[in-house]
Amino acid sequence: MIAQLTNAGALPSLEMTMRFAAQRQRIIAHNIANFDTPEFVRQDASVDGFRATLDRAIAQRRKQTGGMHGDLAWRETRELKHTPGRGLVVVPGTPVGGLLAHDRNNRDLERTMQDLAETTAAFRVAADLYRAHRDVIHSAIAERV
Amino acid sequence: MWGSLDISTSGMIAQRTRLDAIAANLANRDTLVNARGEYDPFRKRIVHFAAGDPNAASPAGRRLGVHVAAIEIDENALRKKHDPDSPFADADGYVDVPDIDGVTEQVNAMAAARAYEANVVAAEAIKSTMAQALRLLA
Repeated sequence: MIAQLTNAGALPSLEMTMRFAAQRQRIIAHNIANFDTPEFVRQDASVDGFRATLDRAIAQRRKQTGGMHGDLAWRETRELKHTPGRGLVVVPGTPVGGLLAHDRNNRDLERTMQDLAETTAAFRVAADLYRAHRDVIHSAIAERV
Repeated sequence: MWGSLDISTSGMIAQRTRLDAIAANLANRDTLVNARGEYDPFRKRIVHFAAGDPNAASPAGRRLGVHVAAIEIDENALRKKHDPDSPFADADGYVDVPDIDGVTEQVNAMAAARAYEANVVAAEAIKSTMAQALRLLA
């Protein structure tokens, strides 16, 4: 019963989204810190890859439990490792294109800052939805006690 | 998420070090003698970065981030200036003076300042994410 509360509705997918966004933000911060490092090549984790993996996991869960509760059946990819103790671990492996500067660094300030803003916004939306969902559960519990 | 701030902090420290070196280059464009009063024209300082930050507090910060790998002193950055009245002039009246181009240094300073700002923005984004995550506990 308790497990069905903590993995109810969209909570598992929102948790995964927050984990992914927080780790991608770290990768982007690393790229920004190395804007002037010679021969540094930007790293990234694919947002499309995450979305596809999440979609598959949600579809699988829907098939197994109807979609109202249950853990996500996360299928690991090269970039998205999932271990029970540590949760989602993002290993950046998506090639990033762009022009090489004279120091062989493929910096792209505008694109990087856009990625940072989008990732931060995705985390904020997921956190807000998670909180709203949890408040509903709190209200439901309060009504019954 | 913890440790992410180390990455942006390392970026700010590296860029600030680069700005310090640029400021020293500009301040010493006409310096001909060293601290002991001997003829020793100032040589341009060049800061080199490398990925990873060995001084970071967290494992994530050590693996990621950036650090100053070396501050090179460019021994060849001297040019001949014709100044026969100088006490340091050679037999032909030429003096070796620092070869520091003010425009190049200014452009480098602008690039370093912009990169510093980008790191500040990244730090702000990480702080906002941390605050959102902490609010989930409240």
